[in-house]
Parts: sequence; C-alpha cells; structure tokens
Amino acid sequence: MIARLVLNGRPREVEVRPNQTLLELLRDTLGIFDVKEGCDEGVCGVCTVLLDGRPVSSCLVLAAGLRGRAVVTLRGLERNGGLHPLQEAFVRHGAVQCGFCTPGMLLTTLAFLEREPRPDREAIRAALEGNLCRCTGYTKIVDAVEAYVRGELGHD
Amino acid sequence: MTDAVATRDALRIVGQPVVRHDARDKVVAATAYAADWALPGMLHAAVLRSPYPSARIVRLETKRATAMAGVAVVLTAKDVPRNTLATDVPGQTTAVGPLRATLHVLAEDRVRHQGEPVALVAAETLELARDAVEAIEVEYEVTPGVFTPEAALAPGAPPVHGTGNLLAQWRIARGDVAKALAGANVVVEGEYTTQLVDAAYLEPESGVAWIDSDGVITIRLSTQVIEHFRDVAEVLQVPQNRVRVIGTYLGGGFGGKEDVTVEAYLGLLTLKTGRPVKMVWTRQESLLSRAKRHPYRLRYRTGANAHGEIVAQQIELLADAGAYAYLSALVLLYSTVTAAGPYRVPAVEVDARVAYTNNPPTSAMRGFGAMQTVFAYESQLDRVARALGMDPVAVRRVNALRRGDTLPVGQVIETHVAIPELCERAWAALGPPTAARAPHIKVGRGLACNFQPYGRIVWLHDWASAWVGFEMDGSLVIRCGCPDVGGGQASSLCQIAAEVLGVTLTRISVHVSDSALTPLAGTTTASRQLYMSGNAVLKTARELRAGLLGVAAAMLGGDADDLDMDEDRVVTRDGRTLAIAGLLAECARVGVPRSHLGVYHAPAGEPVDLATGSGKVFPDYTFGAHAAEVEVDTETGLVRVLGYAAAHDVGRAINPQSVEGQIQGGAVQGLGYGLMEEVVVENGINLTTSFATYLIPTAADVPDVRAVVVESGEGLGPFNARGIGEPPIGPPAAAIANAIEAATGARITRLPITAERVARALGLLD
Amino acid sequence: MHPFEYAAPETLDQALGLLGEHGDEAKVLAGGQSLIPILHYRLARPRVVIDINGLLLGDIVVENGRLGVGALVRYHQLEESDVIARRCPVLGEAARLIGNVRVRTLGTVGGSLVHADPAAELPAVMTALDARLAVASPSGRRTVAAREFFTGPLTTMLTADEIVTGVEMDAVSSYGWAVEELSRRAGDFAVVAVVALVSLDRRGRVDDARVAFGGVADRPVWARAVEDALRGREPTADVLAHAAQTARDALEPPSDAFVSGAYRRHVAGVLCRRALARAVARALGRT
Repeated sequence: MIARLVLNGRPREVEVRPNQTLLELLRDTLGIFDVKEGCDEGVCGVCTVLLDGRPVSSCLVLAAGLRGRAVVTLRGLERNGGLHPLQEAFVRHGAVQCGFCTPGMLLTTLAFLEREPRPDREAIRAALEGNLCRCTGYTKIVDAVEAYVRGELGHD
Repeated sequence: MTDAVATRDALRIVGQPVVRHDARDKVVAATAYAADWALPGMLHAAVLRSPYPSARIVRLETKRATAMAGVAVVLTAKDVPRNTLATDVPGQTTAVGPLRATLHVLAEDRVRHQGEPVALVAAETLELARDAVEAIEVEYEVTPGVFTPEAALAPGAPPVHGTGNLLAQWRIARGDVAKALAGANVVVEGEYTTQLVDAAYLEPESGVAWIDSDGVITIRLSTQVIEHFRDVAEVLQVPQNRVRVIGTYLGGGFGGKEDVTVEAYLGLLTLKTGRPVKMVWTRQESLLSRAKRHPYRLRYRTGANAHGEIVAQQIELLADAGAYAYLSALVLLYSTVTAAGPYRVPAVEVDARVAYTNNPPTSAMRGFGAMQTVFAYESQLDRVARALGMDPVAVRRVNALRRGDTLPVGQVIETHVAIPELCERAWAALGPPTAARAPHIKVGRGLACNFQPYGRIVWLHDWASAWVGFEMDGSLVIRCGCPDVGGGQASSLCQIAAEVLGVTLTRISVHVSDSALTPLAGTTTASRQLYMSGNAVLKTARELRAGLLGVAAAMLGGDADDLDMDEDRVVTRDGRTLAIAGLLAECARVGVPRSHLGVYHAPAGEPVDLATGSGKVFPDYTFGAHAAEVEVDTETGLVRVLGYAAAHDVGRAINPQSVEGQIQGGAVQGLGYGLMEEVVVENGINLTTSFATYLIPTAADVPDVRAVVVESGEGLGPFNARGIGEPPIGPPAAAIANAIEAATGARITRLPITAERVARALGLLD
Repeated sequence: MHPFEYAAPETLDQALGLLGEHGDEAKVLAGGQSLIPILHYRLARPRVVIDINGLLLGDIVVENGRLGVGALVRYHQLEESDVIARRCPVLGEAARLIGNVRVRTLGTVGGSLVHADPAAELPAVMTALDARLAVASPSGRRTVAAREFFTGPLTTMLTADEIVTGVEMDAVSSYGWAVEELSRRAGDFAVVAVVALVSLDRRGRVDDARVAFGGVADRPVWARAVEDALRGREPTADVLAHAAQTARDALEPPSDAFVSGAYRRHVAGVLCRRALARAVARALGRT
C-alpha cells in the first residue's frame, strides 16, 4: 500500500507494508539514517521526528496512516548547507558525546522552543525528560539549549 | 605541582576545550553507526534465545524454519566449527586456580540463563527472520537452578557447570585485624547490598558482516574491542588474518560492548551464506541477555581510633557471576584491591568470592568491581565519622592515602593523592545550603570518595600502537586501533598529535578502530585509551618530529633542538620559518620518512601473591570526591537530588570540556545506580527487559553536575593525564546514602535507594 | 510486528462495519502509543488493524453544562485547550503527567480509557468525575459510567465489536482540583496517583468532593468514603487528614516486582491528603 507524507518539505508517496512503522519507512526504505532506533516502544526518544511540528516516536507511528502529514527529521534543519544555530550550540557546549540521542534531542528542543521560547533550566529539563541520554548527564545539553535561547535574544 | 603549571603554560592545543571533530558529524547525523549500514543483497539475522534459566535441550528441530520461503540459513550449535569462546584469566585466584572463562557460541545440551542463544537465523527480511525463529521447535526439560550466590555455594546446590559453583576467590591479609579491632575506639559493622544493573547504552548491539572482495570476513560493528577478530576466527576455524573487524563510532559502551556481542554470529552467518548479514538486537534482547554489572553483598567491620583514623577493616565480598564466567574473576580482583578505599588502613582482611548462578551473566561495566565497594567503604567511613562527631571532610583528610603509602595488596602509591583537596573543593562547590521548602522535607549533604585503577593489570603487559604521517600538502593522518565509544577518544589523539607536530587541528584526519588497517591499540576499557593510545600517539609523534626536525635543521642551519613546530610551520628561535610542505618535499628528496609507527609499552610487572601482599597490580589510580545535597520527603521517602559536585584529579585535562563531560555523565550514571536502576530477576527470569521497566535517569531526575577538574600534573598518561572514563561513576550512590543519613538519620544499605526503601528506613511502614 | 491488514475507515459506520466483520481478530488503532509496542513485541497478533484516526471524534464541546471530549482528542489538546482550562482544569493537570511529550502528541483520551492501565491518569480522572463513556457498536449506541467501565487490569466492559467514541462529564468550573502522583522516575507510570476535586459552599464548607486513585488496585478506585467524610464539613487540615486516612484504610493495593502493596497504601494516604489540601486551596481561590 501507499504511504503519503511530506518529508522535510517534499511530498512523497512510498510503497509500504501495512505493519511498517514510520521509523522503518525512513531507515529501511528511504535510507534516512539520521533517525535512530533505540527501544521500539517510544521510551528512549532516539527515533524522534516532528509530525506536523510536534515530536513523535517514529517507532510508534504506522507509515500507512500518515495521510499526507508533514514529517521533519534532523536533515530538515539544514540551513543553506550550514548548521542550525542549535546544532552549533550543541557542538560548542560539548552536548554531544556518543551522539546517538542527539538527533532526537535537537528536534524535541526545537519543537519545545516553538511553544516556549524563553524557558529556564528547569523547564528545559522537563521538556527533555522523554529523551534519554546515557553519556552526558544532561548538564551540557541544558547548557547548549540555554545558550541558544540567549543567543536568539541577542545576549550571546 | 609548580612544574605541572609551568608545563601547562607551554602547551598550545592540549589543555584547550577544543571542539571535537566527531561532534560536528554527530549533530548533523552524518556519523554512520553500526546499524546505519546496508549492503546490496543483505540478509537480516535474528537469535532464538532460551526462555528458561536452567534447562536441558531435549529436542531442537529446525526443519520447519529452514524450509520457510526467504530463510537463507538456520544454525545451531552443531553448525558452529568451534562452538567455544574463551578468555584466559591471567594470574591465579586464591582458591580456584588458573581460570579459563569459556562459553558456547550457541547452547548445546543445556541452557544456563534466560536469554541464552540457542539458534541463529538469517533471512531476506527481519520480519521473516523473526518468523523463522518462532518456527524453530525446541523442547526443554526444566532443571533446578540456583538464583543467589548464597544458594549456589550451599552444600548440595545444583552445579551450574560441571564443577562447583565457586568461580573465583581472592584473599588479602595485611596486619593483625583482630587485634586492631579489639583496640579500636569505635567499631562499625555494616552489610550492604548492591544490585544487578545494565549498561543501557542507547545504541543496541549491532553490526553488518560481509565477505570482502579479497575473501576476508569483514564485520563492521559497535564494539569496544576490535581484537575480538581473533575470537571470531577461532569460532569459524579460519586463520586470524582472514577476519577483519571494523569498529564504528559507538552509541555508548560502558563496558557492555567489551565482551563479544554480535560479531561471532555475524561471522558465522556470512560465512555460511556468502552474503552480507545484518544483526541488530532489540532493546528487549539487549536487556535480557547482555552481561551486566555484578550484584554484591558486602560485609564490613571497620575500626577507628579516637582521632577517626581507621585501624582495621575486615571485609567479606560475595558476588553473583550469573551463568558464565566472562570477566568475573577480574572484576572481583578490582573489588579486592579497592575494598578498603583510598585510605591508609594498617590492618586489612578481604575475602572475596564470586559464584555461578542461573541469573543473567555479569561482566565488565564502567567501574569494573571498583564501584560496588565504594558504596560500602564510604558508608562505613561516614558512620565512623558520625560515631566520633567528625565532619565528613575531616574524617577523609585524616585517612587519605599519600604518595608512598602501601595498599593492602602491597602496591605502593607512586603519584600524588589529592583526596583532601578534592573533598574540600567538592564540598565547597555545593554552595550555600538549601532551605527545606516544607515542614515534611529534610535537606542534607553527603560526601563520598573513590579511587579507580586506570590501565590494565600490570602483568598483562599492555601495549598500544599508532601510526602518524604527513601527506605532501602538510595535512596529517593518524591511524590507531582505538575504538571511540563517544568519550572523545579519537579527538584527544588529534589534540596530542597537533600539540607535538604543530599541525592545525582541522588539518588532521584520524582513522580508528579497524583491525586490518589501523595499528592495534587494545581495548577501549579500563579507562586505558587516553593513557595507552594517547601515549602511543605522543611517542610516535615525538619520534616523527625528531626525524623531520633533523631535516629541517639541515635546511635552516643550526641545531634541531632549537626548532619548534607550530601553526603548520617549523620555527627557529630567531623567528625564521619553514612551511611544513617545504620540509616534507625535502624529506621526500632525501629519503627521510614522513610517517612513523610507534608502540607504547605500559610499565609491566609480575603477578602478585595476594596472600603476602607483595606487589603492583595496576599502573596507577584516579582519585575523586563527590558531594551531594538531597531533599527527602519524610512522608513518602522520595529523594530528590538538589545539588551535585564531582571533583577528580585528572592529572592533566587534555580537553577540559571532554573531561567535564566524562565526569558529569559518569556521575549521572552513578546517580541512576544509586536511586533507580535495577534489573529485577525472579528465579532467573528478568522482569525488566524494556526501557519502560528498566529505568535510567532522565533530564528531569537529576540536577546539574558541577565538575571540578583538578590537575595535579601527575599521571601516567600523555602530558601526565590520568584515566577519567570510569572513575566518576563510583561515588554517587554512597554520597546520596550519606546525604540521606545527614538529612534524616536513616541509613540505607541496599541499592537502589528507592522511595520505598527510604520510607521503610524512616519507619513509615511499621 | 506480525503481518496484518490495515483498514482506514472514514466514517464511524465504516469503522463499526469492519469491527462487526472482524470482531476480536481486529485491533482498533487510535494514538497507537500502547498498541504499537504490543504489536512490536508480538503480544497481540490481530488480523486487521482498524485505524480510526480519520474519524471525526476529535472535538471538545460544552453543552448544557456538560463537557464532551471526543475519543480522538489528544493529550496535548487537554493540556492546551482553553475550554478544558476553564471548564475542567483537572484534565489538563492530569494530561501533563502522562508519559513523555511524544506520547502526549499522539495519545488519545479514548485510547487511554480503553487500554485501561490501572495506574494511568485519565481512567482515574474519569472515575473521579463520574464521567460517562459513549460507546458505539454495529448494533447501536450505549453509555457506560466510567465507574463501571473498568473491570480489571487492561480490561473493560467493552465488547469486541464496540468503540468508545467519546466521554462526557460535568463541567466542574467551580471545583478546586489536584492530581498528585508518585512515580519511580520523572514521566514514568504512577506508582500511585490521586485525583481530587472539591467544591465549597458559601460558608466555606465542603459542598462536594470527588476522589479517585490510580495504581492501588486492578482498576481505578473511586474513594466514596472520602466524599462522605468531607461533605458538609469545614476542610481543616485535621478533617482532610482524617478523610485521607479513611480512604487509605479502605485500600488493599497489590505488590509487584517494584513496589509493595503496603507502600502503595501508605503513599495513597499521603498523596490523598495533599491532593485534598491543594484542591481545597484552589476551591477557596475560586469562591
């Protein structure tokens, strides 16, 4: 059957199996490896994509049910070939170690900041609670998000 | 330490918080992890695992599975050329003698733990492979199992293997413990229990194998140890130089990818089918069957005099190895050596045992046996201080080891011990105390120290090699067999080479972790990679530099010792410069090599006789002190960590940002261990095989960790660095337990410190 | 996941037709946040998955003082809706405690109720509110009280050919409210959850109180005894503590591998008292 979606701004129609998830569609069918697979039950957050602007676990979405909705993966953030300023903040603040959680962290953060542009550290922590990281202990991730928020406000 | 500061001032790139090259790749998801790999015609693999912790395999029938359309092959033990993976355990344990840790690649007539691999399938799709696994018919006869080390060692216990269930025992005796305890002003007795935990990296075990165009079986996987290519060759019964392991950048390791994971299965399946094969474990499989951290029971009697000085420790350790030996004997050795803590203790007895059970197997995990003991010795020390009315910093100051002191095992401490300074700085870093926000909330602070070996046991004769070479345009290539687990291993090698050879960091390419194409550098384990590969790159770069500067001296006139390499040039004392490309062209003309292969050998030694306590076990140690402020809800027992500071003497921070990251990340893993993580096993059945039940800390569970980086300038690594990979995971559980007692008076002796355990300790459920 | 057929009906009648045809060989897919993991682990092997996300069941409406919430209303809508904030803010507070942000993007009110996890927030809230579930089947429509709907762990009164289309409850604008829970980890399933709603009369005495627990039995528990203990009384700290104690004493929570029944019971009492106190404080703010 056919799954319809708008992937990183481009309308796509892709042949899928009824039991195929959005994660499997992205990784196995389309070879989009910026979405990771970590737990297959929506807990870890490494397969996060934005669906109509909101974060979802792509492992818990059936591809067949997409109905033309907008899906954004990490590569959807690219700005004229350069890094998105949040990506730059992650690099500069040492928020990346093994990097496996990073794509999901970035997408979750951006969706959150759309709705709450000036969060404090506690709010940032609460917003990222669904994205596990086993390497950094989160401090530098929160540092990076905070720095990005400050930069947007012209204080950085 | 004055010299150290002087040295640091002379450094240009080492010591700077430079941006890691891999971070740029990772934020755009350009890094191809092991599962991010696909080849034309690739098969997908799945594993059939035992549902029982102890059973005989009565019948194993694969016909139906094999006959399914799309199934390429089904393998069982009889199809494996050599069905044994073996590790020699060096040195001789006290009671059991020389050890060889072995396990079957696929189960033969018995399964000894739930999740033990029984058969393999490769099929055209993953779904088909899983269908085929379900179609394999196995008849098990359940046999009695043992599920605690105490039960395993009891007379008449069913043997997990052919022999008795005692896997290993180490003993240390130093001084007259009974006499010292009898003369002590205060004697504290405690029994502590630590739990089974999982490495829980976010990237599950994964890899792809293929037979390359030259016939070499090539396995690209997530591993901390590319040297397992030899083990795969043994299993396949092919020459060791016909197997190649390419290690990817890892999505976390923490010791869980130290033992063999998917590589032997992938090797078998690609060899049998001739096709590329991919294997990615599900989270459930990973949590079910991967070797985990040993649970311990620790019994301590600690005696101290009126000044708070410890005079004796009597220690009994009992650990659960699960069903297979893996690295248990060595894990236990680490516990034995560190059992009395980073303190001067004149009289010590340690009796440490580890037993086979039918529980999930245990092996390496960050901290490697030097972790469980921290919870016990730091709880004991706090209780001594409390009994004597001493403050937590003071009791550690009077007891801290000093250079020249001898550990109970007989090893002399040869480098600076910064414990007093670390305690003071960690404690101060907590800042002004937080006021309790409600009457039912109590706030308290706790301190805990640790010491963790870095580098492998000295009688393993550890070494690492690296290749460093210039291209004609002056760009530099580093080749080193060091796996990068995410801690910045590869990036640190670049910084070291850049420092010595004066090359701009962006002009360096580093190739790591390929058993065929990078010089072997050993495992990314035991906090050894910066120490070993770092020293290998340092030595190699220095030797290369000497050759190049000889040519430069001839070109520029004068003495090579008067030349420096900086900003991609050779610079003379009087300010003349020679572009690196010009120097390299001259080297080509006169036939001087522009590349160099170097080997670093760690200081080696002979196995110690533990009973007499006569020698060196580890190259050196990293010391730390952590301070925690917690609030306890005295109505529910819920503990929240309000503030956390972690101080370590890292000798020299090659990249301070990476060092802080190791400290913060390790501390939070330690907080997970202290507060929530537990693999719950009932009669050998794992009840926590998902991330919804095996809980690791989220961003909302932990506070900011303030990393206090102390640089004593003393350590055996490059530029006097010490290993920092494992040390920060050690102290948190004890720091939290000590803080809880400070807040409430209740002493928690069992991990994890759940709200219910605190509630019970507070008497809320009586 | 085991292979299955996928059907995406566009109307309720089509959906019911499919359910009538396939019965217990079918699974209804709403937000998928509980169903898909079950399919991943092959714990369920339906022949057909009926994706009802195309149905028009996503409205939040107020009619005659009653609040109607469609089965496909997502958790994040409960968090963000102005109508919910004005008419039934306890739903918003409860929704914020559910799962992680991704679960709240897709998870639905109907899905949570039908999944019937005994520790979940919304079943407890609906029990406290005495909500009524609208249920449709090929043979007709019926309503079921939330207090009767849940029959055990992950089981409800729903038959194989029925769908929950929505839930209706009193708008409780004048009530103070609170949801208190304790979990093993931030965002995790509650060990114990308590939902409390309190309204006060002009003299500051309790006019009405509604309390329910999650996580203390095989289904949500309506704490009727608390309500009786409070009605008509001045909500002093002692009175609230006594009411909470009464509720606690009536509970016999089960033990599991992680938490003992005794501890759940203890925590239920503490959280009930705190929830009542917070609800009363809010009710005072509203009068």
